[in-house]
Amino acid sequence: MTSTAEAVAFWILGPLAVLGALGLIFARKAVHAALGMALTMVTLGVFYLIEKADFLGVIQIFVYTGAVMMIFLFVIMLVGVDSSDSLLETIKGQRWWSFIFVIGLAGLLIFTLGQVTFDAKTVQAGMDRLVANNNATGNVTGIAEKIFGQYVWAFEVTSALLITAALGAMVLAHRERIVPKRTQAEWAARRVKENQDVAGLPAPGVYARHNAVDTPALLPDGRPAAKSVSRVLVARDQVARTDGYRDVERYIEREIEEGRQK
Amino acid sequence: MTAVAPAAFQQANIDYLAVLPLLIVFGAALVGVLVEAFVPRERRHTIQLTISVASLVLAFVAILFATKHQGLTFGYTDGATSRRLFALAIDGPALFMQGALVLMGVLGILIMAERFGGVGSDAFTASGASTPGSPIEAASARAGLITSEVFPLTLFAIGGMMLFPTVNDLIGMFIALEVLSLPLYILSGLARRRRLLSQEASLKYFLLGAFSSAFFLFGTALLYGYAGSVYFGDLSKAVSDTSLGLNGLLVAGAFLVFVGLLFKVGAVPFHAWTPDVYQGAPTPVTGFMAACTKAAAFGAILRLAYVGLDTASWQWQNAVIIVAVLTMIVGAVLSVTQTDMKRLLAYSSIAHAGFVLVGVLAFDQRGVSSVLFYVVAYGFSIIAAFGLVTLVRQDGGEATHLSQWAGLGKSHPVIAGTMAFLMLAFAGIPLTSGFVAKFAVFAAAIGTGGATGTVLVVIGAVCSAITVFVYARVIVLMFFSEPADDTVEVLVPSVGTTFAIAIGTLITFALGVVPSSLLDLADRASQFVR
Repeated sequence: MTSTAEAVAFWILGPLAVLGALGLIFARKAVHAALGMALTMVTLGVFYLIEKADFLGVIQIFVYTGAVMMIFLFVIMLVGVDSSDSLLETIKGQRWWSFIFVIGLAGLLIFTLGQVTFDAKTVQAGMDRLVANNNATGNVTGIAEKIFGQYVWAFEVTSALLITAALGAMVLAHRERIVPKRTQAEWAARRVKENQDVAGLPAPGVYARHNAVDTPALLPDGRPAAKSVSRVLVARDQVARTDGYRDVERYIEREIEEGRQK
Repeated sequence: MTAVAPAAFQQANIDYLAVLPLLIVFGAALVGVLVEAFVPRERRHTIQLTISVASLVLAFVAILFATKHQGLTFGYTDGATSRRLFALAIDGPALFMQGALVLMGVLGILIMAERFGGVGSDAFTASGASTPGSPIEAASARAGLITSEVFPLTLFAIGGMMLFPTVNDLIGMFIALEVLSLPLYILSGLARRRRLLSQEASLKYFLLGAFSSAFFLFGTALLYGYAGSVYFGDLSKAVSDTSLGLNGLLVAGAFLVFVGLLFKVGAVPFHAWTPDVYQGAPTPVTGFMAACTKAAAFGAILRLAYVGLDTASWQWQNAVIIVAVLTMIVGAVLSVTQTDMKRLLAYSSIAHAGFVLVGVLAFDQRGVSSVLFYVVAYGFSIIAAFGLVTLVRQDGGEATHLSQWAGLGKSHPVIAGTMAFLMLAFAGIPLTSGFVAKFAVFAAAIGTGGATGTVLVVIGAVCSAITVFVYARVIVLMFFSEPADDTVEVLVPSVGTTFAIAIGTLITFALGVVPSSLLDLADRASQFVR
């Protein structure tokens, strides 16, 4: 039966897993939701380890927390951390309906699980068999025997699924290069030919005490030069203001002026 | 109880001849992927088409051989409990469906391969990754890029469809569901014209399909919780072993699994995707989906209803009866208001799904054979019908609005006449396969469905009458009204497309005049192996 250590581990990790799951649902930011999910996944992995399913536990942490969660984070990165979903309901009363269904499903599950009777003998027999299995073949071998014996067809056919996914990703996302890529020399030749920015785009501003790609250079009349910062930064509204640096410049000029007068 | 020593590794018993059709189709799909990687672009289309058609014909021959190798395969009988743990059930309904799917697949692929003198398939975009309307899209078309990946994708879909009615456990059914759906999601988004609509259709299909898969999976989990096994045999036994009474896990599980399957056939209220996807997807793909997905999904529904959950039928059949009634009524009534040819056929396919469900609810061997006959008869007609839709053009694009079909009977009598004949088949007029098919399902429902069966048949007959109006309206429009403008043209199809449309129409006619051979075959093939 359940040992004390197992019970302690369960009562510490159980609430953590629930907390992670709730975080997934209620977190406002996508990254926080993903982290909540990762927490739940890791905790589940530990549960498997406690239940003597070493292989499954390790796989759970490797595959779900490692690979799948990374893919989630990649997606969030591609979509942009800042983008948040509209919380406006498009289907009227959807939230209430889903609430009712969730209550119903939870009631069903709790009701059914409540009917389960624990028979100490059967549980012990199951545990004995598990231990015997683990001792005789080992956890990994046991799973291998299932995969390559009983479930060999399901295992093999899944490959069709993976190949379809790879092929679909290529068809829908891979753009074949139709026109050859321009070399740097060709870009330079084109600039000269079109007589635009012949010397290249202006570099970002370099100031006495500040130097970064997000600070535009200043034109002779003191206006920021739009071309000197990357258009990506402009689109994201991440370009620094230059007023401060101009003030510093003026201050230094005034000091030099004062020094001369003395 | 003392500790039991674990059994030694038990190898799965495999009857390779019984699964050869599946192996051929999946193998050809893999070869198709390699062709994409290694063969120069100019030759890909021809080679892919040859591989696809040849492999499907070969698979059909293999199916004929497999009829001698019926039984459970890919698994073993557990020594201690003598449970039969087999992944596949090669039996009459499975092989009948496989044969039908392979033949309909050949016709579908022939229509997909139509080039109208271009470099690649006319229905598919030159570059699926380019933004619609962008210079890159135009440049790709000019550079002669083609999306010949559609052929291996279609083969994968056909493989999954063949597997769908063949599987013997819920996990296998879920995998088959995904194997057949995933390529269809991709194919739906690859139309050459009106690409935004196509991509929207693809995304809608994908999202809703993912939800329905989730429903199916959740139902599987609940049923596993109930029976302690995912095998249909164990499931059926677990139901008959326990005392009668509503079991929360069983009812909810059965309901959720059925939701996943009914979504695929487009039954109301899980039909919302059908019109949008049928309209947005490339027309040959729509035809292929309408025929083959529906057949495969009904095969799976039959297996689940007659093998897996047969003993529990009184717990779920009321829900399916409601779905069948809703499907017939909504499909028939909404098809009246349609003005777009593809949407009209989509709603008509929803109504047809309702009629087939009536046959499923007969709970009898005759019900099985009538469903098998219906999906084959409907499949060949709908492939030919969508094949004809690809031919009618205006300004280069497909003319799918009904007003564009006005007066087509005068300018192009053969095309309009064929379409009119197929419309009569959908309506269920005698001398077409549609009549025999409807008669078969309704007769089965009246024969063994009891009072509910009779009520269902009455509703079905009323709904058929409503749909007759829809199809008659199209026929009248084509033959008895003046064309709105004369820029609508009909392209001359290649040999492949002509062959596909002709065969589809001929089978529609033949099954209406001499249906007995296929009815007999369906009868003989209607016995499930357990």
